[in-house]
Amino acid sequence: MASHVSCFLLALLFFASCSIITSLNQMCTEKEANMTYNCENLGLREIPDNLPNTTEFLEFGFNFLPTIQNATFIRLIDLVFLDLTRCQINWIHEDTFQRHHQLNTLVLTGNPLIFMAETSLNGPMSLKHLFLTQTGITNLEFIPVHNLENLESLHLGGNHLSSIKFPENFPTQNLKVLDFQNNAIHYISSEDMGPLKQATNLSLNFNGNDIKGIEPGAFHSKNFQSLKFGGSLNLSVILTGLQNSTAQSLWLGTFEDIINEDITSAMFEGLCDMSVESINLQKHHFSDFSPATFRCFNRLQELDLTQTHLKKLPSGIKGMNSLKKLVLNVNDFDELCQISAASFPSLTDLYIKGNSKKLDLGVSCLEKLEDLQKLDLSHSNIEASDCCHLQLKNLLHLQYLNLSYNEPVGLQSKAFKECPRLEVLDLAFTHLHVNAPQSPFQNLDHLHVLNLSHCLLDTSNQHLLAGLRDLRHLNFQGNRFPDGSIPNTNLLQTVGTLEILILSFCDLLSIDQQAFQSLQKISHLDLSHNSLTGMSIEALSPLKGIYLNLGANSLSIVPSHLLHILSQQTTINLSHNPLDCTCLNIHFITWYKENLQKLEGSEETVCANPPSLRGTKLSDVELSCAITPTGIFFLVMFLFLFIFLLTCSIKILLRKRYHHI
Amino acid sequence: MGALAAALLLCALASLGRVCGAAWPTHTACRSGDLEMRYQSCDPLQDFGFSIDQCSRQLKSNLNIRFGIILREDIRELFLELGLLSKGESIMHISYPICEEDLPKFSFCGRKKGEQIYFSGPVNNPSFEIPKGEYQVLLQLRNQAWALVACANATVVGL
Repeated sequence: MASHVSCFLLALLFFASCSIITSLNQMCTEKEANMTYNCENLGLREIPDNLPNTTEFLEFGFNFLPTIQNATFIRLIDLVFLDLTRCQINWIHEDTFQRHHQLNTLVLTGNPLIFMAETSLNGPMSLKHLFLTQTGITNLEFIPVHNLENLESLHLGGNHLSSIKFPENFPTQNLKVLDFQNNAIHYISSEDMGPLKQATNLSLNFNGNDIKGIEPGAFHSKNFQSLKFGGSLNLSVILTGLQNSTAQSLWLGTFEDIINEDITSAMFEGLCDMSVESINLQKHHFSDFSPATFRCFNRLQELDLTQTHLKKLPSGIKGMNSLKKLVLNVNDFDELCQISAASFPSLTDLYIKGNSKKLDLGVSCLEKLEDLQKLDLSHSNIEASDCCHLQLKNLLHLQYLNLSYNEPVGLQSKAFKECPRLEVLDLAFTHLHVNAPQSPFQNLDHLHVLNLSHCLLDTSNQHLLAGLRDLRHLNFQGNRFPDGSIPNTNLLQTVGTLEILILSFCDLLSIDQQAFQSLQKISHLDLSHNSLTGMSIEALSPLKGIYLNLGANSLSIVPSHLLHILSQQTTINLSHNPLDCTCLNIHFITWYKENLQKLEGSEETVCANPPSLRGTKLSDVELSCAITPTGIFFLVMFLFLFIFLLTCSIKILLRKRYHHI
Repeated sequence: MGALAAALLLCALASLGRVCGAAWPTHTACRSGDLEMRYQSCDPLQDFGFSIDQCSRQLKSNLNIRFGIILREDIRELFLELGLLSKGESIMHISYPICEEDLPKFSFCGRKKGEQIYFSGPVNNPSFEIPKGEYQVLLQLRNQAWALVACANATVVGL
């Protein structure tokens, strides 16, 4: 009998715990009240009742809806975005979205669709985006054509399509994006392209289809925003097939997991007969790289040769006067001069990021690039003992320079005098050698943004930042100050124009009172991840109305006479500090609660002391430090008692003394 | 009777575990004379499949692997975070970009949430020898928003 009882109890326990878990599971996450909800991964079989009727954006992926029909979403008639990714949908019956006039985006990715009814997509006034990726479609006739007149993007990747031929009545006039990635399309005929005639500025994606043939003239006099043939094995087939077409961008790159034959110059012949502005050839091997390779590139504006195993570009390339942007990332150059920059005189953007070898900047290798505005040389193992006036000679129009993540670089005074128009300079994580009292950034009158984070700078050099007349954003993260203190006279005094200053991870213990006196324009100050205490707040008194981050410091007690300095700021972050929640800090705690609207990260702003309150959010702390009426009563009683006892003992003492008289 | 109750409790707990999502099974990625690799998915939502074509302590460069998973996040960008531990102590940590906006290294880069991926191909690794001993490897794949795409606790035993 007892065993039965215990079994019953156990069973009850089991069901109880499971029902708790399922009821927890029912909870969708509210991202925006009454509007946006996420119900993913909950194993739901229907729309939960607690979802409001006003829901507009619903992420419902990874649930279980084998059949969807008229009744399924009937309550949520305001839906604009509906994501039904991997809900094991087999059937989409008639009039499923009949009442959803606002529906704009429908995501059906990864559902094993068996059939979509003729009127299954009827209802929405303007259905713009339809995702049918990996839904097992073998034929484009599968998609019900009614009500697709407004379609702007159609995603058909990962299906079993062998032809891109849409039915004649398929509306394509508004299509802007058509994605055929990873299908089995091997041939594109003129007839296939026929239905796409009405579409203008279309982006077509054929990545991951091994195109073996294109009928001549299939793309004749057509205009494309972008064409992607990534991972295609035969480039000449594609370029020949694109005859007489126009495309803004053409993506012909390949991938690590695809084995291509080497590219020969002859493969690019077809480019002469089409008009392209931008080409990407990432990860290809060139077998005979010569000036002739570029014969048909003469109208090109952007060329991306990322990771194409280049050791040098041939000199004497003719006719590439229109090239504006050249990407040579992740190649194998030894010296910057090997890119033969003189061949590209109109270049405005040059990227040589992530060079696999140690890149020697050489002397004047880019001097012919008079129009260059943007230069990225980050992550390229650059080492230079005296940078950069010889290396960057004649780059008079350079506005953006990225030298971050390189080997140690030495800078002298006026190191960037050859690029006087620099606006953004990024040197993050490049160890900089600057001898005091040199001012490497002198004469950079237009520099707005300077990233010197983790440059291991000598911060005692008062002149380090001299000459930066218009600097607004300085990232100084991870540089150390002598003795962990910013003294009253410091290198920030020369940059009074600063609006954003980042001094996080600088191992700061204190800031002297007058240290920020000259920073009158600051609107954002990040002092997080240091070891500052309450006393350093005094240095912030000249700052008003700013965003102030004091997170992850050593603030424990904040003296009450400094609270007005915090009050005068707009937003403050005090999270991850060992804050004191005893009566010693009562003024600060009261202030904190009164200024909650100003405080950021209040979930992580918790007490460290006393142990009983450790981990409690500061906003939840209730302290009573003032004396209560009962307290006063007892205190008065105690005093009376004390006086009474005192008089008594004095009396006894006097009586004893004078008794014998 | 007590034994019966205990058995029932165990059973209840076990089925609870299954219903409410317990640990995924440990799989063998490869096993040979001198090397064994086991892994277990640490993504609470799902398991994944992985194997390596050749298995010896002297790992060759450009290994071929097979990998199958359902994406629960877009992978416009994808990063591999790899931590290596021996006897509970961290030996090294590697962060490696697999897919980047300006360099999608593999053909699966850019796939969308909900897509099923099967990858079979080389991974462009350098060759190296695994010293004898037992190692714990923590692998995470994260996307541009740092959301978890895959997670594995692996054990590598060099015999």
